[in-house]
Amino acid sequence: MPIHENLTVDTPVADWLNPQELMTDPYPSYARLREAGDVVYAPALQSYLVPRYTALRETQLHPELFSVRSSDVNTMMERAFGGNRPMLRKDDPEHAVERQAINPTLRPRQIAQTWSPRFAQTVEHWIDHLLEVGPENADLNRDFAAPVASQNLIDLIGFPSEVHVDSLRRWSTDFIDGLSNVMSDPDIWARCDASRAEVNAVLDELIPHLRRHPDASITSHLLEVNLPEDVVRTNVMLTISGGMNEPQHMITNMVWALSTHPDQQRTVRAGEVSWGDAFEEVVRWVSPIGMAPREATADIEWFDAKIPQGATVGLLFASANRDDSVFPRADELDVTRNARGHLGFGTGVHQCAGRWAAKNAVGEVAVPRLYERIGSLMVDDSRQVSWQGWFFRGLTALPVTWD
Amino acid sequence: MVKISFHHRDGSLDVLNVDDGTSVMRAAVTSGIAGIVGECGGQAMCATCHIYVREEYLDVLPPVRHDEEEMLDCTTEPRDERRSRLACQLSAGRDFEAIEVDVPATQF
Repeated sequence: MPIHENLTVDTPVADWLNPQELMTDPYPSYARLREAGDVVYAPALQSYLVPRYTALRETQLHPELFSVRSSDVNTMMERAFGGNRPMLRKDDPEHAVERQAINPTLRPRQIAQTWSPRFAQTVEHWIDHLLEVGPENADLNRDFAAPVASQNLIDLIGFPSEVHVDSLRRWSTDFIDGLSNVMSDPDIWARCDASRAEVNAVLDELIPHLRRHPDASITSHLLEVNLPEDVVRTNVMLTISGGMNEPQHMITNMVWALSTHPDQQRTVRAGEVSWGDAFEEVVRWVSPIGMAPREATADIEWFDAKIPQGATVGLLFASANRDDSVFPRADELDVTRNARGHLGFGTGVHQCAGRWAAKNAVGEVAVPRLYERIGSLMVDDSRQVSWQGWFFRGLTALPVTWD
Repeated sequence: MVKISFHHRDGSLDVLNVDDGTSVMRAAVTSGIAGIVGECGGQAMCATCHIYVREEYLDVLPPVRHDEEEMLDCTTEPRDERRSRLACQLSAGRDFEAIEVDVPATQF
């Protein structure tokens, strides 16, 4: 697909961009992309990348030019979810019907009243577990962040308590692997199909129950607006795919960020900066979602670049959040800055539906409670910390210790 | 066309003439009016299109619905019980024939 041959000389080309380097540490490449321009063509990704803040925000605010209905992505998403496309891959007005169904249970007041007490119970349970594992062996990702994120998601989608945190994690991983199965690896499809069957088996029992006994869950809200059942199922699978890794990564990101910046940790723990503000700054500084794809609906002249119809456009959230023209000294963590307006959750109608749930569950419950109960919690430098990914980026291991 | 006037803190004024059905937020964001963000795209999931409607235009407006009510508690500049609205929830033609609003100093 040599779409770059149609370009004028105006569009900068990042022929140096190396996906392997992105996987290890994307931030040096992001800095170079921001220097190159508002829209930069990357041959290695066959995509037009949008690395700066203002252009990215503008791009996301024009779904009529940059649609989420990308054909390549959708083919995989429909395959992964059993034939249907979830709301993330629909434009308005089609998307709005499904999105508005779940919004009422995800606004701040409902989060505080209904969900926060449950998030708090879960956190107590898994801090107990972390303490049992002990300061020699504890891995905050494995022993706390992953099960907490999983249980919170089980609760939010209204799945029964018999569903184990490890099952939901596995489903989420299998779906995500399926969504990015560009090589059509049969083993990945087999895992994805098996997980879809398990999720469908839970929904076979849950859906009739929720029709009789509606509750605050996302699944129940999707049913209440009379969406076809297959649409409900697909959106539950989307939620399982998209609602697990990011809160998990934000728990470990925050503890890692505060451990490596002890002065700022003191500032937050002394109450001089709210936990919520610290959460927003860490989302900006190390954003769990690095990129989201769009597809150009026409030949477009956009910020001094020419983008051909059908081209993939990559919105580089993690890069835009390091744009110095919007966030001075953007490469530095600074919990005292006002980080709101960052693009870690995206912007526009596809802004993350779970942004208030995540802020509460991670920023106002899990992490503050960790420090309340384990005051000397710190990264264990004698063991290996590891990061992975750029599309989705997070810590795969965060050894922690305490006195 | 419906006239929307945005009064800024520094005394400056932006006036837009928009088509029926355009929300105050959409009109502002599309025209690059400073001080209106509209982070969630108009679904009352954020409070970054907060405006203060001028007194003389309040009477004709539809009442604040539950979702808007909830998000108005999350504005960065203090909520005014009478005048605060989310610009995404007010639609030209449907909700008003002309409107003047004050833009808060900040949305974050």
